[in-house]
Amino acid sequence: MTTTTPPAGIRTPLIPPSTHPYAEVIHRLEAGGSMLPDTPENLQQIIGIYKAYAVPMDFYWRDLLYIAEQVFLNPLPAFKYFISQEYLDRPNSYAGDQSQLRIWRGGEKAHPELLAFMERGETRRMPKLLHHLWHDRVNMEFAEACMRAMLWHQGMGGRFNDYLESEAYRANADRAIKAYFRGNPLMLGLYALFPEMFLEQVRQLSTTANLGLFWEVMAPVFFEMSDLYDEGQLTSVPQAMDFLVNGIFAVAGRPIYHHVFIRGECFEIIPMSEGFTWLYEAALPYVEAVFYRTSPFRGTKSYNAQAGQVPADQADFHYGILYADVFPVGSAGIPPTLLMQDMLHFLPPYLQELYREHRRGEEDQLVQLGITFQRSMYNVTSAVIQALRCALLYPLDDTDPKHLLANRQFFEAQMDRFLRPEARLPDIQSQDYR
Amino acid sequence: MTLLLLLLLPLVAGLVLPLLPQSRPLLVRGVAAATALTQLVVGLVAWRQPPADLSLTWLPRLGLSLDLGLDGLSLPMVLLAGLITAMAVLASPADQSRPRLYFALMLATNLGVVGAFLARNALLFVLAFELVLIPTTLLVAIWGGERRAGAAVRFLLFGAVSGLSLLGGVLAFGWFGQGASGADSAVSFSFEALAATPLPPSAQMLVLGLLLLGFGIKLPIVPVHGWQPISYAEAPAPVVMLLGGVVSKLGAYGLLRFGVGLLPDAWSAFSPWIAAAGAVSAVYGALNAVVATDIRRLMAYSSLGHMGLLVLALAAATPMSLQGAVAQVLAHGLIVALLFDCVGLIQRKTGTTAIAELSGLLNPIRGLPFTMGLMLLALMAAAGIPGLAGFPAELLVFEGSWTVFPRATLICLVASGFTAVYAVRLFNRVAFGRLDNNRADWQSTRLSERLPAVVLTTLVVLAGIWPVGLTAWSEASTAAIALRHSDPVVHHLALAPTSPSLSLPA
Repeated sequence: MTTTTPPAGIRTPLIPPSTHPYAEVIHRLEAGGSMLPDTPENLQQIIGIYKAYAVPMDFYWRDLLYIAEQVFLNPLPAFKYFISQEYLDRPNSYAGDQSQLRIWRGGEKAHPELLAFMERGETRRMPKLLHHLWHDRVNMEFAEACMRAMLWHQGMGGRFNDYLESEAYRANADRAIKAYFRGNPLMLGLYALFPEMFLEQVRQLSTTANLGLFWEVMAPVFFEMSDLYDEGQLTSVPQAMDFLVNGIFAVAGRPIYHHVFIRGECFEIIPMSEGFTWLYEAALPYVEAVFYRTSPFRGTKSYNAQAGQVPADQADFHYGILYADVFPVGSAGIPPTLLMQDMLHFLPPYLQELYREHRRGEEDQLVQLGITFQRSMYNVTSAVIQALRCALLYPLDDTDPKHLLANRQFFEAQMDRFLRPEARLPDIQSQDYR
Repeated sequence: MTLLLLLLLPLVAGLVLPLLPQSRPLLVRGVAAATALTQLVVGLVAWRQPPADLSLTWLPRLGLSLDLGLDGLSLPMVLLAGLITAMAVLASPADQSRPRLYFALMLATNLGVVGAFLARNALLFVLAFELVLIPTTLLVAIWGGERRAGAAVRFLLFGAVSGLSLLGGVLAFGWFGQGASGADSAVSFSFEALAATPLPPSAQMLVLGLLLLGFGIKLPIVPVHGWQPISYAEAPAPVVMLLGGVVSKLGAYGLLRFGVGLLPDAWSAFSPWIAAAGAVSAVYGALNAVVATDIRRLMAYSSLGHMGLLVLALAAATPMSLQGAVAQVLAHGLIVALLFDCVGLIQRKTGTTAIAELSGLLNPIRGLPFTMGLMLLALMAAAGIPGLAGFPAELLVFEGSWTVFPRATLICLVASGFTAVYAVRLFNRVAFGRLDNNRADWQSTRLSERLPAVVLTTLVVLAGIWPVGLTAWSEASTAAIALRHSDPVVHHLALAPTSPSLSLPA
């Protein structure tokens, strides 16, 4: 990408143009825009995919909390994806009349499209077990892969992971484990022999709760964006990004916790009183782990660690959706193919029409959908970058050149992460990338 | 009448096609395909109910008469010609430019080839042989790629030399033989007449030398192959299906019919050199294919290499090797047509056949998985993988030639092994890896586009698991003209049913 001069309307005389390879994108960010170019089709694509993402996400967060709070340490969790009616009806904390903190419109219970899909799948009405075995269901495997990425990478800021190693956490987990296996001498004996194994499982479940609580926020955000777009209130990509930034700040301080319910009793493994917050303990680690890092996906593309194809430092991992080769085989990152399959069921008609018009139409909808998802996640990442800039640095309309230069350095540092050849940032600048 | 019908079908259709309305290209294509398929059906009828030979006086002063016949050597060639012509027509794009002329020229090619195969008169054979050159040159010159002019000129020049050599050889055959006998009547060029008047050894050498040049160019074989790589690279893929699958087989047929059949002494004397030329062709073709940077050129050199095997089998001239030669003609015809059909689809969709520019075509979502799957099968068949058409043909060639030319056979075996090398190299680069998103903006192949490849693949597989389909046609005919007997045990095993004199005592 060549160095460019900012457009006349946003030119600032206070600092010179950036010479960064992604100068055009940086100037756009400095003007309050997104990494994704502001075009009507880009807006249509990302809003459409947010809607298609929000429906399975409405299941993800409910089931993740169900697993973390109810299934817990079940040694044979064969039915952990068979969510209970209680969790399916669980009111969203941020939407609906019964919500604790109503920020977004929409109902508090599971989305009607999700319920309809759970009833019939893409095949036909049949017993839930057959839907499950036939994989005609929401793929929770994707959600769990995201959770494992968060657990595995750690060290991405915040205090959450440190707390998982603390004595207080061990004591809380110990009480819950003993309560859960009460009357089961075999499991209690195993726990006595291998306490770390059980503790590690509980840490994973705490991360599961963390991700569930993160997505509990995001699902109604995406639903509302879709509604606003349909009503003509969201008309540009920066507007969509700003909506996300505002949403992030609205819930930034909401609690991240892990409660377990054993025989009707609540065990607070991570109490709310610890003060873990949504932005720093869930949102930022999630973006870092899932959008940027994840791990070399064991798919059709092979990575040879001994040949240096896998970085030695986890912080240098670059297998997330922002780098993923969605085309042709979803060969990197969290297997996006599973999520793509989930989103396919809930595509709005205008996206289906768009895909029919390009490339192989319905034949390769999954690939086109995956690339749309990549675009949309670049927009979400832009929102996170702008939110961080807002929280840590200076306003975009600041008149102090030093402040603007600090903002510039922040944006350039963020863009440095996309200098790798695998990064799809240059691709999404073109509408032909489908 | 059946024999005449085989010729009249492409002749009449070829004349009618230009009269069809220009606004209906699919009708033109349909008529051309139907003509070739009907010819194939008539050929099959002739197989089940062999027609009597036909002899009509044409130009008696020149010794030219319309002598037509079908035997074990020509029948499979005629069937192959009908089949490949039909497949080439169907493999041509639906939006073929100037379809009336294009398909008429294809049928004219078919007419010449089938005429040569049916001919029982050497001059008639030459006439048909020469006829093929005109439409094929035009097909290359008009519908070829960027360098079509150069390709057409080279094709024409080599073809003209080939035709002149053949004409000279045939005339010399008649004049040296029947002229030397002092007969007052006009020289007859019927095969019977030529066979009945053996030439003196020196004249046989001369005639065979001319024929070898003529047919060697047509096959082609090193060092007279100069027209082939550029023609195969520049001509439209369906035209190459015809050139490689049918037209080049005229050379093989001619060597078998004239060289082995009519000039046995000279053939025996020349055969070590012919075998050596075959081995050189096999190695030269294989090595060039290994380093080729374009799929079409790779296929061209691969074809050249396989023609080397064919020539080796003809040189050995044992019953088994000649059976192998005919089997190789049929197998190679099917395989090369399938390969170029797949290459044509790749070029039509991706716009290139440069190996460096292609990758990931096996991609199931946006690649050409079906085409690449069939291409893999065709490459495996060319490499002689058991269960496919190439295996029985090459096995017969090697086993039949081994006892006569062990060194040349060994060289050809090694060269044949290189087929696997360039096949794997090609497939690895073109089919695997990442499909370029910017390039991969094409629609998947339609059912109608896949049809020719499916038919050819079916036959390649069928011939592999039922090799009699390749050999049974010619078993008796090749045994009759074989010049040498291979190892007695092998000979007995191979030919016991048709060679009672060599069977074990009761």
